[in-house]
Amino acid sequence: MELVLANHSSYPRVGASREQQRLRRAYAQRERGEISADDFNRVQDSVVAEVIEEQARAGCELLTDGQIRWVDSISHLAGRLNQVEINGLLRYFDTNFYFRQPVIKGRVAGNGPLVAEEFRYARAVSPRPIKPVLTGPYTLAVSSIRETSLYRDLPALVLDLSEVLAQEVRALAGAGAEVIQIEEPAILKHPKDLRLLHKALKPLSQAKGSSQLALYTYFADATPLYESLQELPVDILGLDFTYAPRLPETIARLGSRKTLGLGLIDGRNTRMEAAPQVFPILERILPRLSGGIAYLNPSCGLEYLPRDKAVAKLRLMKELRDTFLQRGKR
Amino acid sequence: MSRAKLEKLGLTLPLLPTSTVGSFPKPDYLLQARARFARKEITQKELEALERKATEFWVQQQEEIGLDVLVDGEQYRGDMVAYFADIMPGFRMGGLVRSYGNRYYHKPIIAGEIRWPGPMTVKWWKFAQGLTSKPIKGMLTGPYTIMDWSFNDYYPDRKSACLALAGAIRKEVETLVEAGAKVIQIDEPALSVRPEELPFAIEAMQMVTDGVPAYFITHICYGAFEFIYPRMLRFPVHNFDLEMSNSGLDLIGLFKKHPFNKDLSFGVLDVHSHKIESPMLVKERIAKALQVIPKEALWVDPDCGLKTRTVEEAQGKLRSMMAAVKEIRQALDKAPKRKQRRIEVGSVVKKRRKKIRKHKYKKMRRRMRHKKK
Repeated sequence: MELVLANHSSYPRVGASREQQRLRRAYAQRERGEISADDFNRVQDSVVAEVIEEQARAGCELLTDGQIRWVDSISHLAGRLNQVEINGLLRYFDTNFYFRQPVIKGRVAGNGPLVAEEFRYARAVSPRPIKPVLTGPYTLAVSSIRETSLYRDLPALVLDLSEVLAQEVRALAGAGAEVIQIEEPAILKHPKDLRLLHKALKPLSQAKGSSQLALYTYFADATPLYESLQELPVDILGLDFTYAPRLPETIARLGSRKTLGLGLIDGRNTRMEAAPQVFPILERILPRLSGGIAYLNPSCGLEYLPRDKAVAKLRLMKELRDTFLQRGKR
Repeated sequence: MSRAKLEKLGLTLPLLPTSTVGSFPKPDYLLQARARFARKEITQKELEALERKATEFWVQQQEEIGLDVLVDGEQYRGDMVAYFADIMPGFRMGGLVRSYGNRYYHKPIIAGEIRWPGPMTVKWWKFAQGLTSKPIKGMLTGPYTIMDWSFNDYYPDRKSACLALAGAIRKEVETLVEAGAKVIQIDEPALSVRPEELPFAIEAMQMVTDGVPAYFITHICYGAFEFIYPRMLRFPVHNFDLEMSNSGLDLIGLFKKHPFNKDLSFGVLDVHSHKIESPMLVKERIAKALQVIPKEALWVDPDCGLKTRTVEEAQGKLRSMMAAVKEIRQALDKAPKRKQRRIEVGSVVKKRRKKIRKHKYKKMRRRMRHKKK
């Protein structure tokens, strides 16, 4: 079984040093009108390149651009669509992070590329494959305020957002993405909408071409939904093990027809995982997986950690993986 | 209803007691002094003198405005969790983490056994109480929120960290009571984030408040109350201080489905808006609260701490709130008992009457249709 080291999605954009805080300064300068949009973009570009290099040096094999340009995982995408306005702050699930809530004023429609350009840049500066990340249609829809009668019912908005995101998936596949990650943390809070999610993922699946489509859930226990998640039209399932004590047992029992993204490294806490916590789980579930490959990744985006801890988690992930595989050879 | 509890503690408060959630904006001279202190340009003593000056200002302001239960204004605190984490053994300051947009904070790390370091807030409580004859609230952050807003490198799980914090906060509560505090507010804004953890959050608060002769308030804001209500009523406090106005008074619907059975501090001022609410708007909000909460159980205050507003905005908002409360108190005094819950305040009662008329009309139509059949 090949165990590929993957980053999840976001990555801390500032660190402890003055140099690592240049994006924070540039953001404030841009807000005060002291630097141009081009100057600001140059700073963003340099930070994207920096965090990509940092992930690669830590041993990561499938990288992300760290979502460095994203204000948050909801408004970055929704704010680029027609008929969407961005409103006040709302807590993002159970974190102490707040996102700007979209207000849907009319029929949503794409208004040009969402992240395809960001992906092209990241790919050009990366020594290893880059995984583009999109927040999924269901999570975008339930995080929004619906102010138009067109979307009195949630499914209509979810399905329209799905069509918009399918265009983006097509663009990303065309730009050479090997794996495209769709994030749907909200579905774990609303399991009754799983059929709706299934329907919403179909256009994305049809648009993916030769890319692999990954569905990542987190911030809640996926165990009760595990069997249903296996039915979704995606190639890879990403799971957060930090909320799910019974998940290893469930996977060991049921196996997986899909490639799994194993979120065994806690992206929300600074404590470093030890081999006795991680190895028994890998030993139980890896033999039950099909396809010959699994991803080892943090449980969620790493932006909830300080920069030094985020990179330490990635290094730890490599150390654990290498030791585990060595042990297997002996 | 905890009027009896308050009276037992020697506190006689008017109907609709008014208070604030805790923090007030820091005057410019104090903001500059804090920045200079961070650059080591002034001493701790010099900073503290200015913190005292600002505390005196806010106590005087609250008295002038006419609030009933006062706060020290937290002029000596930065972040509500970091203040305690900075003082308590067991914590160390973590790196920067983003909270939203371009805002970052140093998230504390629990790196060892948490211990109570001795009084953390009592000195300031005594100072503020010495400035007024009105009661000053003891102000603490709750164990669940300190745990949730910190990293945990030491305790085996979240529950153990939370209960360890509860032990330390309990000691602070006892010391506040020994000093003379009768009303203690323990803020738990994180309470609603993980509904499955509510049982141990309740256990922790039980450890903090059990058997302590004080009136306890807990403040919760910006959460998904629908996931923890009515279970949260088991939280062992006398009064829930809830953000109501920012969320469009959504919670009233929940209270209609399942009655709220504690005292409620009802947030009538949106602290994230620069706009100063009119007394009429505040009256409408209070009237809505009176539809679901008995008048003896209702307190009135802002949604959250006012520290993000300017000094002038905070003063203006509180004056507006006080003007509204005074008018409603007068109306409640004059109204005969059976009509007290239908106080004529702005358009709220009118709308209610219209709804009742509509309902009666529909009922009549149904009866007529039935007769025809």
